[in-house]
Amino acid sequence: MSVSTPHTEKPATASAPVPQPAGRGRDSGPRRGVQPSRILLVALLTVAALYFLLPVYWLVVASTKSSADLFGTFGLWFSDPQWLDNLSKVFSYGDGIFWSWTFNSVLYAGVGGVLATLLAGAAGYALAVYRFRGREAVFRVVLAGVLLPSTALALPLYLLFSKVGLANTYWAVLIPSVVSPFGVYLCRIYAEAAVPAEMLEAARVDGAGEWRIFGTLVLRTMTPALVTVFLFQFVGIWNNYFLPLVMLSDDRKYPITLGLTTWQAAANRIPELNQLTVGGAFLSVLPLAAAMLVLQRYWRSGLTQGSVKG
Amino acid sequence: MSTTINRTKKPGPSSRGRSARPDRAAWGFLLPFVALFLFTFVLPLGYAVYQSLLTPVRSGPLGLGPATLGFAGLDNYALALQQSAFLESFARVLLFGLVQIPVMLLLSTALALALDTLSHRWAGILRAAYFLPYGVPGVIASILWGFLYVPGVSPLTDLLGRVGLAPDFLGYDTALWSIANIVIWEFAGYNMLVIVAQLKAIPQELYEAARIDGASAWQTAMRIKLPLARPALVLTGVFSIIGTLQLFAEPLVIKPLTPAVTNSYTPNLSAYNEAFANNNIYLAAAESVILALVASVLSFGFLSLVNRRKGRDAR
Amino acid sequence: MNSSPPSRRSVLRWGAGAAGALASVPALTACGQTVGAARATRQQTARPGQKVRLVFWTWVPMQKTVDLWNRTHPDVQVEMQTIPQNVTGGYQKMHASLTAGNPPDLAQVEYHELPSFMLVNGLTNLSEYGADELRDSYVPWQWQQGVFDGKVYTVPQASGPMGLFYRRDLFAKWGIETPATWAQFEQAARVVKARGNGARLCAFAPNQPTWFAAMCWQRGARWVRTEDDTWVVDMDDDLSREVAEYWERMVRDDLVFVEPDMSNAWYKHVQTGQISAWVGPQWGDALLRGNAPGTAGKWRVALLPQWKAGQKASANWGGSSTAILQGTRHPREALRFAHWINADRRAVDLNVSVGYGWPAAAGVFRGSALDKPDPFFGGQRYNDVFTVSDRAIDTSWKWSPTTDADFARLQDAFGAAIAGGGTLTGALADAQHSTVDNLRAKGLKARSAR
Repeated sequence: MSVSTPHTEKPATASAPVPQPAGRGRDSGPRRGVQPSRILLVALLTVAALYFLLPVYWLVVASTKSSADLFGTFGLWFSDPQWLDNLSKVFSYGDGIFWSWTFNSVLYAGVGGVLATLLAGAAGYALAVYRFRGREAVFRVVLAGVLLPSTALALPLYLLFSKVGLANTYWAVLIPSVVSPFGVYLCRIYAEAAVPAEMLEAARVDGAGEWRIFGTLVLRTMTPALVTVFLFQFVGIWNNYFLPLVMLSDDRKYPITLGLTTWQAAANRIPELNQLTVGGAFLSVLPLAAAMLVLQRYWRSGLTQGSVKG
Repeated sequence: MSTTINRTKKPGPSSRGRSARPDRAAWGFLLPFVALFLFTFVLPLGYAVYQSLLTPVRSGPLGLGPATLGFAGLDNYALALQQSAFLESFARVLLFGLVQIPVMLLLSTALALALDTLSHRWAGILRAAYFLPYGVPGVIASILWGFLYVPGVSPLTDLLGRVGLAPDFLGYDTALWSIANIVIWEFAGYNMLVIVAQLKAIPQELYEAARIDGASAWQTAMRIKLPLARPALVLTGVFSIIGTLQLFAEPLVIKPLTPAVTNSYTPNLSAYNEAFANNNIYLAAAESVILALVASVLSFGFLSLVNRRKGRDAR
Repeated sequence: MNSSPPSRRSVLRWGAGAAGALASVPALTACGQTVGAARATRQQTARPGQKVRLVFWTWVPMQKTVDLWNRTHPDVQVEMQTIPQNVTGGYQKMHASLTAGNPPDLAQVEYHELPSFMLVNGLTNLSEYGADELRDSYVPWQWQQGVFDGKVYTVPQASGPMGLFYRRDLFAKWGIETPATWAQFEQAARVVKARGNGARLCAFAPNQPTWFAAMCWQRGARWVRTEDDTWVVDMDDDLSREVAEYWERMVRDDLVFVEPDMSNAWYKHVQTGQISAWVGPQWGDALLRGNAPGTAGKWRVALLPQWKAGQKASANWGGSSTAILQGTRHPREALRFAHWINADRRAVDLNVSVGYGWPAAAGVFRGSALDKPDPFFGGQRYNDVFTVSDRAIDTSWKWSPTTDADFARLQDAFGAAIAGGGTLTGALADAQHSTVDNLRAKGLKARSAR
């Protein structure tokens, strides 16, 4: 946090008493009395909050209902809650396949996120610190990678992976997930600003090799950027749908997103799957939503670095 | 620290004098990424281009016998560009982007600016609420909103129906905007956070100066904060453009609910159906290549447009 | 993009294979290689005492039948995996797995989909494994669906003879006689609209071209035929146009709901009596039973309304087979299982209970689970109606090998028509053209009949 802290934390406290220009002569019309405009502002912000929370609230309510009540009763209020019963059905259905999906999602997003972060960290660091032939060329290609929509690549990837026998394997989702051009971009910009040349020189004078310097000093210095890249990639993989959809045909390898849509698509033949889809959606949203809230500040601090250069 | 200095500068090729150690170390750090990048970006594109030049040659009674691959030249591209549905899908996502991106960024900016005037605690709670949907995967968000759109099942149509309104979220004219709503719901909070981060990075002295000059909160927001949030808006803008062209999961999930969403509703959906439902992987490869080209042109174009403007403003 | 030379030296395990793929780009060495399934079927000789494990993809919930097989056949264990129904993702998965060379051994494939699987060499030639001997166990026209160029490619499972499901209580309340002709059906729709307090007789589902095809099938149309090596497409004929005009009028006069069938919105209407009739297939019984349990006892089944009074024309909607996909290592075991699940009496009884359709197995109806009065249909022996319907199906109807793409186009055109961007008849004309195009795009000979 060393570099970005001063920039993120200071204004956070300072912004609290934002000037209220009470009775300023220049103000015109409705803004003359400050209170009404402030009430209006708070009201609008509250309405916005309701909008963002409504579907999640609906999900919480719906996950407590029986299949019949899901369609038969008013959606925004509870009716005969049978929450534990529903959720245990989610886990037990189809030989507990929901467990597999959860495990796979965690595996894809967790392992993919960590590896992507390390690769991006190393590449970004190299692009920031060393001067070598082809540096700008590599950076430009990476930038092009940032701008290329990943789903435009999913189909070509599938064609290629089928050819080399990687389709329908864990690798098919993992390998593309560990490549994050945006992560490289972020890491380069961060490393340029945060890794002092003097520190590297001092370490070299002490006789440390390049890899040791990276493994000890640099990684620690770059932690805030790395955390951001990890979060970015983790969420990206967790939410990804197109890639696993085209790559995987064995449902034991599915992540949660793909699994739930399979349930939903089969619901017209097996009505209870409607309830299971809702219950499964609830279970899958919960941990990530919680993580989002807890990790909010990392997003902010790290993203400053990226956006500033945008 | 150095951040503040660097922040005002573009990362030029030789902006800092670093040690000129042998290239070997640099390539050592780069190799894992670059190798995988080639394997997952460059190679697939090359392979797709190759596949897009092929076509099956049939044999046997009614063509149901064994088939072989032949060279098709640019036939697949011609075929893709002849399909009105495929071209319409581009027009559709462009229209979608032209409306959805400004609305979303306006909402994100408004929320960010408004939150900036609130007390720390309340801002924190509200910001969390706005950001929450980012943690909901697109398909799941679409499943949720799907339940809220279907008449007879949705509590929204239920409530609005009682007030005498009968909105048809899944009609032919409305389905696209219902999908836009899902996308806005997912990403408005995230974009807001990027802008908030940018606002936090603005030196406090500027606010102080504005206050001393007697600027109102509204004026501060419009004249100082908004221009300074510009880089964040550019970043979110670029990502939104890329995201729009990728539109896939949302229409795919909404599709069973309404005939308004067709099989080639977006370029991605079209390529997907061509490859897997219609089994024309060669045509699908051509469609993918076209999509990648259009996407690159659009996002590069947007960036260079913004940069040129920035250059002009600076002068 | 290839601007960084050192990275060519890929250290990855897969690098070699991938490079091989890329190396072929300039030379176009793939020209002449076979298209379609990446792996060919081959019988693996089983070692004594070794268990064979088969994977079976289906969207019909027949787990209980599979369980019975697994209990009675310890040497061949079948794992059933539920996949999305047909074009909602099921076929996509199958094609993807065929291309990738890791298909399941068995899969649910509908009759109209078989020609497209033939196009990609996706089915195992079962004549090589003795399938011809099984021929007499099945209804001839259903068996013929899987025969191409004299060879057997699939084991038929079930068809979908159509009938009219209707709510007798509501019909009685509104004073509606069971419609015997389409004219009476339209009249009934007008009565329901007038007296039903917001209810409609039924829904027109623009998402369901297969249903519409069945309606044209009943009218006597033949959408596809073959002449020598050429596919002849005839969707925009007078008979189909008559059907299109009929439903266009129903939609225009607001006599029907316009919504996807078998969707949550549609089920809601069925549950609440807003919809009181369904021109549906025999396998629809399970859907009604499962999704609208509250309406039990109130439904009845009648024969399809006719275009001319006194006729007995019928149609088929859906119909599936158990295909053995190209690439299996156990075609013999798979064929044994496919025959058992579709022809064994106990298996058929279990399948019937989950609404798998009208058995393709010959002579299993009498005494089966189908041959009973059903409380959901108020004690009616409703399958007697479908027995009559089944016999009346004109079995010369053919499917094109591009049915998915054709129907996708028809579906989109119906959508546009409903939105006001055209007519149902216009949609037919459009589908006629695109079907010819689709066939030609696949490298097939095709022409329009008019």
